[in-house]
Amino acid sequence: MRFQDAAKDARAVVYAGIQADPLVARAAAALVDASPGERLLARAVMNGESNDPETWRAMFPRLFGAGTDANERARSDAILALSLEVAARGEQVRSQFRGAIVESLTGRLLARRVPPASLHRERRILFDGIRAEIHPYDVTVELPERAEAYDCKWGARGIGPDVLLQLEAARGYAEAEGSRLLVVLVVFDARRSCRVRLARQTAPLAGIRLVTLESLDALGRAKTPPATGQEVPAAPVGPPAAPSSAR
Amino acid sequence: MTDTVAAAVDRARSAMVGLRTLGQEVEDEWQYVADLDAAWGERLDAVAAARGAQVLPSSTSAAIERAAAETALISDPHRAIDWLSTFPQIVLFALDEPG
Repeated sequence: MRFQDAAKDARAVVYAGIQADPLVARAAAALVDASPGERLLARAVMNGESNDPETWRAMFPRLFGAGTDANERARSDAILALSLEVAARGEQVRSQFRGAIVESLTGRLLARRVPPASLHRERRILFDGIRAEIHPYDVTVELPERAEAYDCKWGARGIGPDVLLQLEAARGYAEAEGSRLLVVLVVFDARRSCRVRLARQTAPLAGIRLVTLESLDALGRAKTPPATGQEVPAAPVGPPAAPSSAR
Repeated sequence: MTDTVAAAVDRARSAMVGLRTLGQEVEDEWQYVADLDAAWGERLDAVAAARGAQVLPSSTSAAIERAAAETALISDPHRAIDWLSTFPQIVLFALDEPG
């Protein structure tokens, strides 16, 4: 198993410009220490219609109401302001910003646990005798003894058979050659929505870990994630729970 | 504004009907939207069953009303799908309930 930078095609060059935008870094930096409620606020505002901060403050009284701790209130206000900046970029651009922010946030959380030099972005994973996937992984952790590959999504709807098959295939190829590769789907959305999305997927899920809005902090907590299939900070993807109407 | 948990959940469920209807304009996601609506609806109904008669602080009622009003501003079906996940989370957070 080895890693390679993704090809710099036109799309990659444009997206790299978004990734490098200071707003992405500022938003990710604010979200790295945010509470789950503040991350929900960011999710709502970045995909909302209203641009009046008072509307959002009224919608989140637990973050902005009377009696809220002054420091927490200041942090929530900063996240609100940054989220409104993202929303103001317009529909097409903000969807790219949101994706880049989730990737940057993932990297920052992982940096709490692994050496920064082991963290990479937009990398392909190559296996001997196997045709490489074109789609790069958003974030990778590359250590001599093990590796981790992260695919980041803004919402549960972004989960599809292509990404699941690619993650599971990479995990399987690594296992076949005796390498340790943890494959993880990071989704900036509720676990319930992710499980609804996964319930009707037919792609193999058992080896893929799922990190959701509620469990993002787990990315930075485990000092040494164990091999795939054992208990890890992120919840295993399968078996998913379907709503009763989908069972 | 005086409201109960049951009334707030009713308001939220009404708003979700609008999101579901709009989201299902994306034909490829019709089933996902139906599943999403059912899953979050079940969760909200469970909260109403457990705490329905509880009177809410006015700030909580207002928060849910504002969130419901925000859903009414959405005209893009793709964004409606995203909000069908986000909106119930906002309601549950306002009610101090886990997702």
